[in-house]
Amino acid sequence: MTSRSTRVLAVAGASVLAFSVAGLGHAGAGSEEGWTVDTEDCSDPDRANAPIEGTIRIGSSMPLSGGAAAAAFEPAARGLEAYIAYANDNDLVPGYELELTIGDDQYDPALTPGVVNGLIDDGVDVFAGIIGTQNNLAVRDTLNEECIPQLNVLAGDPRFGEVEEYPWTTGLLTSYEYEYGAYAQDIAANFPDSTVGLFYVNSEFGNISIDNFKAAAEEAGLEIVAEETVELGDEAPPQAQVSSLAEEAPEVLVTVPLGAGCISFLNELANAKAANEWEPVVYMTNTCAGSALILGAAGENADGVYTSAAMGLVDVSNPEVAATEPVAGYIAEMEAQGLGDIITTGGAGWNAGEVTVAVLLDALESPDGLTQASIINAARNLDFRPTLLREGMNYSMNGEEDAFYSQDVQVGQYNVADGFYTDIGEIISFESTPAE
Amino acid sequence: MPVKVHWGSPGHWAIRLVWLAATIAVVVYIPTRTQPGTINDMTTALELAAVAMALNLVMGYGGLISLGHSAYFGLGAYTMAVLVDHYGWTQGWTLYIAAVFGFVVGCLTSLPALRLKGVYLALTSIALAVLFPQLVKWQKLEWLTDGARGIDDLQYDEIPVWPILGELDGRRGRAVWMYWLAVIVAVLSYLVCRGIVKSRVGRSLVAIRDNETAAAVMGVNRARTQTIVYGLSAAMTAVAGALFGIGLNGVNPDLRYFTLIGSITFVVIMVIGGGATLWGPIVGAFLYVLVESRTRKWGADSSGVVGALFGWLNSSPATLILAVVFIVLMFVAPFGIVGLLKRLAAKVIVIVPNPAGTRSNVPPVEEGLDPSIDEPFLSASPEETP
Amino acid sequence: MDRFFDAVFLGLSSGAIYALVALGLVVVFRGTGHLNFAAGEMATFSAYIVWVVTTWTLFGDSALPLWLATIGGMVFGFALGAATEVFIVSPLSKKSPLAVFVALIAILLGINAIDSGRWGPPPSEEIDSLFPNDPDDFVRLFGAVWRWEDIGTLIVTLAASALLFLLFAKTKIGLAMRAVASNPDSSKLVGVPTKLVLAGSWGLSGALAALAGVMVAGSQAQVTPTMMFTIFVYASAAATLGGLDSPIGAVVGGLSIGVVENLAAEFAPGWVGQEMKLSVALLCIFVVLFVKPSGLFGTEKVERV
Repeated sequence: MTSRSTRVLAVAGASVLAFSVAGLGHAGAGSEEGWTVDTEDCSDPDRANAPIEGTIRIGSSMPLSGGAAAAAFEPAARGLEAYIAYANDNDLVPGYELELTIGDDQYDPALTPGVVNGLIDDGVDVFAGIIGTQNNLAVRDTLNEECIPQLNVLAGDPRFGEVEEYPWTTGLLTSYEYEYGAYAQDIAANFPDSTVGLFYVNSEFGNISIDNFKAAAEEAGLEIVAEETVELGDEAPPQAQVSSLAEEAPEVLVTVPLGAGCISFLNELANAKAANEWEPVVYMTNTCAGSALILGAAGENADGVYTSAAMGLVDVSNPEVAATEPVAGYIAEMEAQGLGDIITTGGAGWNAGEVTVAVLLDALESPDGLTQASIINAARNLDFRPTLLREGMNYSMNGEEDAFYSQDVQVGQYNVADGFYTDIGEIISFESTPAE
Repeated sequence: MPVKVHWGSPGHWAIRLVWLAATIAVVVYIPTRTQPGTINDMTTALELAAVAMALNLVMGYGGLISLGHSAYFGLGAYTMAVLVDHYGWTQGWTLYIAAVFGFVVGCLTSLPALRLKGVYLALTSIALAVLFPQLVKWQKLEWLTDGARGIDDLQYDEIPVWPILGELDGRRGRAVWMYWLAVIVAVLSYLVCRGIVKSRVGRSLVAIRDNETAAAVMGVNRARTQTIVYGLSAAMTAVAGALFGIGLNGVNPDLRYFTLIGSITFVVIMVIGGGATLWGPIVGAFLYVLVESRTRKWGADSSGVVGALFGWLNSSPATLILAVVFIVLMFVAPFGIVGLLKRLAAKVIVIVPNPAGTRSNVPPVEEGLDPSIDEPFLSASPEETP
Repeated sequence: MDRFFDAVFLGLSSGAIYALVALGLVVVFRGTGHLNFAAGEMATFSAYIVWVVTTWTLFGDSALPLWLATIGGMVFGFALGAATEVFIVSPLSKKSPLAVFVALIAILLGINAIDSGRWGPPPSEEIDSLFPNDPDDFVRLFGAVWRWEDIGTLIVTLAASALLFLLFAKTKIGLAMRAVASNPDSSKLVGVPTKLVLAGSWGLSGALAALAGVMVAGSQAQVTPTMMFTIFVYASAAATLGGLDSPIGAVVGGLSIGVVENLAAEFAPGWVGQEMKLSVALLCIFVVLFVKPSGLFGTEKVERV
């Protein structure tokens, strides 16, 4: 516990220093000193280094229609559009108009290359906020070969930190390694010697998340006694799975359901608790549990669920937080755009937009001006605090040494009575230090 | 009055040559003059066309409903992925193995067709389509398929240098290479289909479809015919699937074309283009890809006419529009676009088969101009016997 | 032993839903010879309509009770089914059976697009169950838990089947349906209003689907756009297993599939487990059809040469 606090303090201290040294606003490291991308192997190095004039064309591929998973992620698209509209209205990137085109890949990795290639043909300068691990992997090779920045991938697979092989791709979501690592540490600290049960959706997202938890659990010395899965297309309430878990009666449950399944799971769990003498502690992926809107639908049954703040963002559903200045501004803007119903779920998209624009501004201020190469350089040297980010956290990357923005996890617990989350413990930081 | 052109006459050859020239022109135009993204879309269209042609053999000419072709497609893709990822093969060679596996599995899955009829057969094929992703995700097979995680990072690093075009950069080079591979696969599929349809196997197939008992009386071996056709159909589909996987640099069991939705898409493509015609599936595939590539850029807030009509929908109206188009097409062209075109063309020009005894004893089975092939192959149930 | 009954009770409840949708499929197949591929989506659409109705506040401040809204939903489902038959299926089936299939698929896609687009992502469409659904609403039988909701679903399905049986066997409408199913031309000659009967068959299918949709939504506590996808596959498996023209077959098929798959998942976790439940159901069809190509209770089709 102490070493973590020290690290948090160290990071906080360093950030404060960086802020004060670099002045207000974006404390981006100058690109003379920082990491730069090598454009020699690009298919068109001239284009990668050519200045972008007038309009910055931003492209993305998100699920805008389709099945259950699509429905869960679609608000992010609207959040991203909202931020870009806001940026244009307020001329945040002086002298430039931002043009955003989001293509619909229906969350299917088979369709993402079609969308992305089409957008590349249309002359998109940079991609931002593509959703889905497989979706991003499907286009990663092309974008890196073409030297087009693939910024702020909205997926948490640790593979999006592979700087050497894929320098043009940066991730935004907190890596699953950190999220589940934090849960493992929290369980070991607060519920020592407990047995752990797992429940997850049998898709690539669920499997990779649980793989990361299992690795962290082993390190933390946790004992896993039960494991149940639910199929991706199967929306029936997981009655059988939950009652199997009830048989083993683990004291802690780590769960990774998807979309409506998050609510069904909690409801089934309540049924099982009533039928058996079982009161497990539940940790749930922040993809669904991070939204008070989703948990609210499960009512009483969602009380006490542990999760974490997705990307380290504040809890917008907390009235106190919503009243604070930067957050209130966000809410006002969303409501002005008619998106008042998705202030929680749209936050991911808004955040992606904000970080993208921050990167663009840094690139603009760099000696090379705004080019695709300078954009990715700026992205990998970024040191930035988005509006919705929690206190004590920072988004920073440092070339090859630190390839993730969001490396701090704040575990939180949902309270039905309040309708929002309480922070549990200190921020758990996985911030890379130069020595690592 | 329609112009009559005799089969095998110079006029007939002229028509064929014009058609061939036009096709070649289009095929060559695409990789040389269009953007890589469009080339990729055309590649997908070619792959879907190959599958639809394969499906057409079984369903259009054979009258056997198959909603299970997504399983063969996925089988081909996974064969490629496993060979490349686990055993270090080069992508190109896996196409042959995919064909072999496809053939074997196709023959095996033709067994239900021997016992079951009509809707029951359709439903077992649905079972096949749903089974495939389940099998891939099966714990017991995870050592082979990596389960739900899928196999990725299969990027093919070397791009061949083309003789005339020279060396092309990464994206275009890859696109062109995949495109030509797809063209070869599609052309081969077309030739195989054409060969089968015009051969004894094809005629047996149609005979079985139209009147099984009569066919049996005439000495047609139903089991053998259906098995061979299923096998070939599955083989072609598997090769297209392998190609698809190569283009995607990876596979995973939840990709739409490997699931029931994929099978349904294949059938819809075939019917919209025109079942029991050789060009129908090709037209259907290209139409589908064209519509899909236009509508995927419509975000949630499209402007203009679309926005006015569909503003009440909070998401992309693409699928809804597609659905409406399908229904309209079914009313306007229930035998597919090619079926419709043929009927229209028949008012202008008719290719007359030669009388018996002059060129061959049996009138050639011309593509779709022989009305008995375009007829519905299932009588409108309930049975109309008084 | 209680794990056994746990699986059986759960199987009976999920099987009941399969059976209900399968009944709808059988009614359509018997009456018109087609398979209603859009049955799942009709169910979902009707469930959304029921949800919409429950959000209306009438007569002051109170909302419409769920059971009343459900009846309204069933009426809507009936109308939807009948409309499909009259405007889409009948005209197209004269042209080509494959055209009917594509049109039904188009309806499936279209309704799904409307559901997803209009009513968006969860968790907005919360809906209650028709049955008491609190965590402690269950009975203990043979050491296993049987929830009121599951019992209720089973009872409703059995009641619906019984009513359907009575309809077919004892009423004039049922007789007319059977006549049209076996010989439409003769029926027309005798004066049976065939068009109405055909539309009625589809309508009945829609109503049954609507009921199933409401119960499924209730069990999840929310209406979602794709909730009936997998259930449709199960229902077609059930109908196939039982025989596509046999209502008894649909019910037996549905319940057996539900029970068998859950038992297999429970007692063969290494080989089957929850992941491969559906595969077990599908393999059942293969096995049964191999022995009885028209399903357990289906009638063999006799073709005249």
